[in-house]
Amino acid sequence: MIKEGHFGFMEAFSVMAIVLVTKIFYGSPMALIKYLGTAAWYGTLISLVGALVFFTLLYLLMKRFPQEDLFQIFETVTGKIIGKALILTFGVFLIYKAGINLREFTAVLKVYSMPFTPPSMIMLPFLIVVAVMAYVGLEGIVRVAHIFFYLVFGALVLIILLAIPSYDFNYLQPILGYGLGKTVQTGLIRVAAYDEIVLLAIIIRSLQGLQVFKKIGYLTLILGGLTFSVCLICILAAFQYTVGGEHLSGMYQLSRAIYFTRFFQRIESIFLFVWVISSVITVSFIFYISLNAYSRVFNISNHRPLILPFIFLTFMAAFIPNNFAEIMEIHLRVLREFSSVIFIFIPVMVLGLALLRGKKGVETSGKA
Amino acid sequence: MKQTQNQNQDQDKKQEKKKISLLQKAIGFITYKKTKNPPSFTLPESNEESGQGQDNAEQQDGSAKSDKETDKQSSDSKSRRKATKKPLSPSALKSSKSESDEVKQDFDSNKKILEQQFHLPVNKDLIIRDFSIGNKQPGFIAYLDGMADKVIINDYILRPLFNETNNEMSKNQRLGPLEDIILTNDTKSLKKVSTTVTEILKGNTALYIDGLDHFITCESIGYDKRGIEPPKTEGIVKGPQEGFSENLRTNISLIRRIVRNKDLITEFHEIGEKSNTTCAIVYLDGVVNPAVVKEVQRRLKNVKTDFLVSSGMLEQLIEDNPYSIVPTILSTERPDRTASHLIEGRAVIIVDGSPFSMIVPVSMHALMHSPEDAALKWQYATSLRFIRFVAVLAAAMLPALYIALTTFHREMIPTDLLIAIAKAKENVPFPTLVEILLMELGFELIREAGLRVPGIIGNTLGIIGALILGEAAVSANIVSPILIIIVAVTGLSSFAIPNYNLAFGVRITRFYFIGAGTLLGFYGISLALVAYVLMLVNLKSFGVPFISIISPRTKGSKDIIIKWPIWMQESRPDYLNSPDRRRQPKITRQWAEQDPNDA
Repeated sequence: MIKEGHFGFMEAFSVMAIVLVTKIFYGSPMALIKYLGTAAWYGTLISLVGALVFFTLLYLLMKRFPQEDLFQIFETVTGKIIGKALILTFGVFLIYKAGINLREFTAVLKVYSMPFTPPSMIMLPFLIVVAVMAYVGLEGIVRVAHIFFYLVFGALVLIILLAIPSYDFNYLQPILGYGLGKTVQTGLIRVAAYDEIVLLAIIIRSLQGLQVFKKIGYLTLILGGLTFSVCLICILAAFQYTVGGEHLSGMYQLSRAIYFTRFFQRIESIFLFVWVISSVITVSFIFYISLNAYSRVFNISNHRPLILPFIFLTFMAAFIPNNFAEIMEIHLRVLREFSSVIFIFIPVMVLGLALLRGKKGVETSGKA
Repeated sequence: MKQTQNQNQDQDKKQEKKKISLLQKAIGFITYKKTKNPPSFTLPESNEESGQGQDNAEQQDGSAKSDKETDKQSSDSKSRRKATKKPLSPSALKSSKSESDEVKQDFDSNKKILEQQFHLPVNKDLIIRDFSIGNKQPGFIAYLDGMADKVIINDYILRPLFNETNNEMSKNQRLGPLEDIILTNDTKSLKKVSTTVTEILKGNTALYIDGLDHFITCESIGYDKRGIEPPKTEGIVKGPQEGFSENLRTNISLIRRIVRNKDLITEFHEIGEKSNTTCAIVYLDGVVNPAVVKEVQRRLKNVKTDFLVSSGMLEQLIEDNPYSIVPTILSTERPDRTASHLIEGRAVIIVDGSPFSMIVPVSMHALMHSPEDAALKWQYATSLRFIRFVAVLAAAMLPALYIALTTFHREMIPTDLLIAIAKAKENVPFPTLVEILLMELGFELIREAGLRVPGIIGNTLGIIGALILGEAAVSANIVSPILIIIVAVTGLSSFAIPNYNLAFGVRITRFYFIGAGTLLGFYGISLALVAYVLMLVNLKSFGVPFISIISPRTKGSKDIIIKWPIWMQESRPDYLNSPDRRRQPKITRQWAEQDPNDA
């Protein structure tokens, strides 16, 4: 088995928070504002509630098997063959997710900052760093995430505060958007936007117990949901829902709106650091888990020889979409709306099976 | 007639010879001629095994031998080398050593052994002085000239020895133990030749009297050494002005003068097969984590090298990550700083002959602290630390950020400034990268040259050189004036980094970021930064994560970036896992709790 090491609460919390929140820098706000209009900011809160319910179910599953991580539970409950098939499904989808995330990042960077640089030139150095991160392993990734956690969230707060002069909260009206029914429906579909929380169940053995898992899960979901909501309020208040739904990266546009005298303006490039760092951490983490999944399926003890071929696969996955419209209309919808079929449905199904078959893991202490 | 005929014949022959020699000379100009150079010196192959000297001689003569023979010889020597590389079993090694290492009970044999060990009579440093005491009992003393104090030898070893023996003779009594006769403060009875040799090498005097089965070594170290001077690289305004010197004993005494604690322990280790350098491990028992001491001992014991002259060399041999650009051992030439780290629960390594101590384990923030911080009020120290952190960022990234800004993100530069930069760059034919590299190279040259030039001229050269070079470069339109400011600020920032090794690392890192910024602007710098931080989080210093406190998160300390008031610093750093975590009680300023009128 791969030696992943152990890390503390803050490290795990940081990496999960960054993985959940990175979407805010790209097309997610645009899509949400397009679907829900002025109700986008609480539409995401409805998704958050759905995600919290899912996490509770996930916690119940993990509690039933306190000694095992999610992949091991798949094998215990469904048997070796189906279990490995499920793990492989996770692994394949994670590679696809890493590739599409990378492509989305590349597209945004190309549009806003590096219009003349070919996408492959943007992707290659990015993937080199991802490969190095994966080489070092999970412990290195979470520690880097912890160090940059403060920078990422600090920068988000700074953008929101510095853009205060641009806000007009009248733009949040009509408060019900395109109607409550549509808001609730879209909110529930987009629970998938928070489904990365399932990754926490995969790395659970590196955490300090089930209670820490529970605490990190709920806290990161709440932090992610609130961050999404606040950022959406700011984007709507600054650009109104019609224009807000046009911006490829609402947060980048918000940072571009910062203006304090002729000297202090157009500072959006500074926030590029945060964009890039959070994206690298997110893709590295997802990439590493996909490596982990593949290694588990085929009982490979060392993940390092797999890095290069998997980097190549990620690179290929990033080139699946033909153009940016395809990324937005097809692939991001798959990732943020329909990925729940894999990340939410499978664990819930496994929980149901475990309950039906009466399967339980070995209890260690009454604490969990 | 015959004579004249002969003379004519000789003249003809001479003319012919002249003609031939002229012809030969002329042909010589256009034909290849093998020059007969005198045989040059070639360094013979080193003979790793004993008895290979003959082979070497043969090899030297062997230029005339056929290729086959030399091939055979080389294959022989290879096979022999292979054979000797087979390790001896530890017991066999021990027994072979112990047999030859024992002191004999015979005057001549012991004298001969010492003469052989020190290569007498070729070597002129070892003085062996023979004498006879009592009933013509022969003896000798041996010491290294220049390393031992002759006054001690004369007055406290020889004089008492002769006086006592004469007295005993007159009384017709047996000679008492030599340790009671010799007046030096430290004597050792050594039964092994190797340890006796080591003692002589340290500057002590070995004494042998016929019939004894051991040497007696008397402390007589007396070589010249530098006095205590202010530190050269860690000068401060407020605080002690003493720095370490090259003498190990003096250095330890400087620490002991500050930490007057019976639990302060000093252990000695010999490192260097040829140099036999003494290294000391100093730690405060009960405060330092025993695992750290054990690890330091393990590493020092397992350093196998022939020569060790400075702490810098040892640092490279014992550090966790030799490929890391960032130092993971703190070097300081200040006894007060060393003492404060000892009290915090770290171990200290001092190398004889080096005016630096090495402190382990350390984390990143310890490298950013200046010795002056301890002496300053917390507000001043904290603000200085912020400046230092800014300095590290500027020294590593400012030129890269400038390149990225002017090449990729021009929209960020305010219009007026952008016009000024564009105007200044108008006549410069080089791209910004070349400008930066030229100026950085010039700056590094001035810095390096300033170090080599002796005395005060060195400093002057640095300032004048930088001024003239900068001014001339701008006048010649090689670089733009704004770039001079960038390079100057970067240079100043690198000088503000309190640790010499870290400053070196940051200077090299600067070029890494310049490369990233040139290729991909802020995007490149961000990626480079992530990779750099990844390297930092994976570093360890004697088992302690290098950026501990931040990641992995440990209990907060009150002396990392912000230096909290000294009375709040109640516990030692958590990451050191000291057995004695608390430094002072919760209420340190107990007088503040008292009623002044009650006193």
